[in-house]
Amino acid sequence: MLTYITRRILMLIPVLFGVSVFIFIVMRIVPGDLAMTILGNNATPESLHQLREDFGLNLPLYVQYFNWMSGVLTGDFGQSMRTGQEVLPDILSRFKLTFELTLISAFISWIIAIPLGIIAAVKRNTNTDFGVRLISLLGVSVPNFALAIIIILVLSLAFSYSPPIEYVGFFENPLQNLEIMIIPAIVLGSSMAGAVMRMTRSSVLEILRQDFIRTIRAKGARERIVIFNHALRNAMIPILTIIGLQVGTLLGGTVIIEQIFSLPGLGQLVLTAINQRDFIVVQGAVLFIAFVFVFINLLVDVLYSYLDPRIKYK
Amino acid sequence: MSNLLEINNLSIDVKIEKSYYNIVNRLSLSIAKKQKYGIVGESGSGKSLTSVAIMNLLADSLSVSEGQILFEETQELTTLSNKEMMKIRGKDISIIFQEPMTALDPIFTIEYQISEVLKIHFNHSKKEMREMIISILKDVGIPRPESIMKSYPHELSGGMRQRVVIAMALICKPKLLIADEPTTALDVTIQAQILELMNELTEKYDTSILMITHDLGVINETCERVAVMYAGEVVEESSVDSLFSHPKHPYTQGLLKSIHTLGDRSEKLYSIPGNVPTPTQLKKHGCRFASRCPHVMDLCKEETPPYVEVSEDQVSKCWLHTERGEYNEQGQKASVASEEYEKTFSD
Repeated sequence: MLTYITRRILMLIPVLFGVSVFIFIVMRIVPGDLAMTILGNNATPESLHQLREDFGLNLPLYVQYFNWMSGVLTGDFGQSMRTGQEVLPDILSRFKLTFELTLISAFISWIIAIPLGIIAAVKRNTNTDFGVRLISLLGVSVPNFALAIIIILVLSLAFSYSPPIEYVGFFENPLQNLEIMIIPAIVLGSSMAGAVMRMTRSSVLEILRQDFIRTIRAKGARERIVIFNHALRNAMIPILTIIGLQVGTLLGGTVIIEQIFSLPGLGQLVLTAINQRDFIVVQGAVLFIAFVFVFINLLVDVLYSYLDPRIKYK
Repeated sequence: MSNLLEINNLSIDVKIEKSYYNIVNRLSLSIAKKQKYGIVGESGSGKSLTSVAIMNLLADSLSVSEGQILFEETQELTTLSNKEMMKIRGKDISIIFQEPMTALDPIFTIEYQISEVLKIHFNHSKKEMREMIISILKDVGIPRPESIMKSYPHELSGGMRQRVVIAMALICKPKLLIADEPTTALDVTIQAQILELMNELTEKYDTSILMITHDLGVINETCERVAVMYAGEVVEESSVDSLFSHPKHPYTQGLLKSIHTLGDRSEKLYSIPGNVPTPTQLKKHGCRFASRCPHVMDLCKEETPPYVEVSEDQVSKCWLHTERGEYNEQGQKASVASEEYEKTFSD
């Protein structure tokens, strides 16, 4: 197991290297000039040249990449070309928000999706089942932004609610922080829930059809034991796969939801940086997001072998 | 001798697209304490369904439409609540299913799965359970039980898994063990071992067996009494000895004729022509075997034959044994059936 994890971590190197090269090149191919966006259209050629010289943008590409990479490898992601702020602390502080948002939405999604999925499977082809399937279909197909806008509209019309303007960190004021986070978390959570619900239903249903379930019933086991101890645990692998992908994606930031609720998360950071052609920030953030995504997948793979003894990693 | 299990006129219906079709028709049989009882029949004859009905575990589309299943003369299993039934399942009546490869939960250890039965029905300490499990695993012939009980089902062979399933079924020393084709999925060499093991253990624990199989060889080896089922009905019920020495029902005769014996060099194996009718094809009246019966008469297609006591310990459901069936349509004497059978066998 340990060798497997070590090998998987070593495999991160080529993946992250590929991502870093890709994003580095993409950022230099996209039209738009950093110096121009900073200095404006009226800047003189001399001052533009000077600025490019300062940022090292006139150096050959491989030298630029090498300089960036050698910094990253020593934990220095560089400074923002716009604000001069250190990139890594900025990413980490925004990641805190994104992480919290992901956790709450994932939690909301699971407490809705898994019980409903199980109920639908147990009561298959009844009206309850159809109801659950309709809900999950809505969850999957209604876009996040639409749901967000609907919720804000309803809340503001009914309770004269307005989305908080100023973000407050969890450790500064937990209550106020939760007040800010809960609505976006519900929006994200309910769209995650749709897919998880469907997967839970079909996966539990498939397990309930297996022979060993009959054996367990024949032992005199209560239905509760049959469902939770055996059916759900056996059904967990595909559910976990979906959850892993969702969490990985959410941890990379949710541009639209963050924009709607004016949350300073990772998605907003990347979006602003792209608009400003802030190469260093974009590169750092994308690399970070890629790392988180791959890491979550590794975590899911390790959990597989915990859930199913037939999966053994060597 | 008191009866452990008594099934009276049990009928089971299947619901296909809002209409009900009968698949087990007025089945009656009784199993005495410590008796080894067999049900034999082709696939689709309703024999497995009967066993599942005894456990009260019929799928949603199936339902008992009439009849009773009396356990220990007092408990009526078809009307028991699920809660009461759970106390019986696994403890008083346990069942071994056909497929050992899929009968065990893949993600739990053998120890966990056997201890689960004990946890459901008793309050043993962990240490006691461990000892009981080791001892039952030894009983079913598993070497090194201490290490095997820590393994997962996929780490064991089919024969070993079936032994584990048997251990699981017998650990509560049930009064009745239902074995639904316990050896069908196993290698021939393992089959005999498993049957012998079941015989041995049920004798040790004073357990009755209800053996469900399509294989008359298995019946011959393990059972004392046997019911032959065809298309949801018992067509002949008798002691195993009588059944093998003088089968009376044309279907039983056909079954026995189609056994292939070692050294038999005849070019073609005998088989009963046609197939078991599906539930939707069954008619309300007449003999269900009529379409495949070599001795069929007009009478058979119109009126349902009665059960006739053909000898002291043998009942057969056929018109041939009655006065009305004495002559078939060609005017030949009907009891030829039996003679003809004996002739083919002596050849």
